[in-house]
Amino acid sequence: MASSPGQSAFKDNRRVIIFALLAPVLAFFIVFNTIPTLWLLGLSFHKFSLLSGMPPEFFGFRNFQDIFRNRNGIWGDLGRTFTFVGVGVLVQTTLGILLGFLFWGSKDMPGRRLALTLLFTPMVLTPVATGTFFRFIYDPTFGVLNALVGWMSPTGTIDFLGNPQIAFWAVLAVDCWMWTPFMTLMTLAALGSVPKAELEAAEIDRLSWPKRVSLVIWHHGKFILMLGILLRTIDSFKTLDLIIPMTKGGPGQTTRLVAVELNKQSFESFNMGWSSAYSVLLLLISIAMTSMFIFILNRRRKGR
Amino acid sequence: MSETLRARLYHVVLWIVSLIFFSPVAWIILSSFKTRSDILATPPKLIFTPTLDNYVDLFVNNRGFLLQLGNSIILSVTAVVIAVFVSFLAAFCFSRFKPKGTDFLMFLLLSIRMLPGPAVILPVYLMYVAFGWKDNHLAMILFYAMFSIPFSVWILKGFLDGVSTRFDETGRVNGGSWLHIIFRVVLPQVKPGLIAAFIFNIIFVWNEFLFNFIIGGVSTQNIPYALAVGAYSDGGLNWTFISALTSIYILPPVLFIYFFQKYLLVGMTFGTVRGEV
Repeated sequence: MASSPGQSAFKDNRRVIIFALLAPVLAFFIVFNTIPTLWLLGLSFHKFSLLSGMPPEFFGFRNFQDIFRNRNGIWGDLGRTFTFVGVGVLVQTTLGILLGFLFWGSKDMPGRRLALTLLFTPMVLTPVATGTFFRFIYDPTFGVLNALVGWMSPTGTIDFLGNPQIAFWAVLAVDCWMWTPFMTLMTLAALGSVPKAELEAAEIDRLSWPKRVSLVIWHHGKFILMLGILLRTIDSFKTLDLIIPMTKGGPGQTTRLVAVELNKQSFESFNMGWSSAYSVLLLLISIAMTSMFIFILNRRRKGR
Repeated sequence: MSETLRARLYHVVLWIVSLIFFSPVAWIILSSFKTRSDILATPPKLIFTPTLDNYVDLFVNNRGFLLQLGNSIILSVTAVVIAVFVSFLAAFCFSRFKPKGTDFLMFLLLSIRMLPGPAVILPVYLMYVAFGWKDNHLAMILFYAMFSIPFSVWILKGFLDGVSTRFDETGRVNGGSWLHIIFRVVLPQVKPGLIAAFIFNIIFVWNEFLFNFIIGGVSTQNIPYALAVGAYSDGGLNWTFISALTSIYILPPVLFIYFFQKYLLVGMTFGTVRGEV
């Protein structure tokens, strides 16, 4: 045991070490995040356009009022975004779970690693590249999808990305293609977290499949699955890179999600005051979602 | 006999599912070996005489390509190396000393990664314009490093929590300095965490488009930038260019997930779920 002067020296030492270890990350954060975020907060109360060349003018809550009052404003974008998130996550989760169960117990499959790589490829692709090449696949004149549809029902070509009624779903389908494998991955992880002994016990007890799922698998796997759903919700709320090359938010506004609108207002119209206010609103939403994520994570830790 | 047949059938089904998910990518790779008229043929051709012209074109005639590829590599590797290094120090601090506000800082770190891209980049853009940092490699690298830090800290803290403090104590008792303990005793034990943080941040920066487009410029442009901006030529989309460029560009991430498949799970979940699939 160290004597007490030694201990206090250690304490001072400890403080120095903590500071030294954290300093680089804190420096990065203050310069590239805290200061910009404060700037953003300030700007959200100002009228400021980069095009007019005028200095920012104090505006009170007018930017926020504009965002909510404008007829084509945030409600439409939020509605589309939540449809995109809700339907997308539902489809991806359902399909992902099905595929997860299908791939469960494929440990001795020949070429498993390669097969899984092919399956998981969509989620590590460059979204811009994915968007661009899906435009090629969806193309009405020489796209391969129209050729396939044409084989089955030769009623003429479908303009997947140009038709306002279809465009949203066509984009959503690509998102599902990209992210269903992620839910499969999470399902496999959830299934992997179920102790083998309990599964064997359930088999010996001749528990029916629905019971096995609800009593044994769900109990162990639920948190991983919920984390997966939440991560997917947050990520799909941010969708932008995929949409820019495919539709740029069109036709009309049918694929204009919140991130797309913010991108357009800030970096095409350079409406900085308005965009800052919009960003602040999105920041609040993402803080809420992050809190939920941490909440579930903590429950999982306690649950063990 | 029928047992093995069933297993075979099962594996065939799994392979078919995997191939279905891969098929759009396969179609693009196939298209990159077609001539311009073969690509635009209706109905699309499955059988054609392959040509390497598109790749030759890309490497020989397209002057921007090598610059963009170089930028992609330099930006992602440098930014992620910096990020993983500083994150390791911070994660060690969070895991071992648990200073006040650890939970809050971890939360703050994560919340940036949860924010839509334009909202993150908007204030940074104004700052970069004001200071004249736009289109500067160092400024891009530092920003990408900042954006890779949250993920790295989360993932590394998870791994560091799993390393027993006994090792630190033994090191201290035997008179090792903190530097010795951090880099010689603990670091080797979290190698998998470092690899996972490295690989998945690299994939992210490699694929990143918006930030590069907004705060970068002509000299720092990467390949996604080129795809979004340079895809047009001769009045329409230049599909030969797109297919060849895409095929080359998606190769590294795909190889990464083949060779580092055991890190895929931890990499896709901020280090919150561990294990292999």
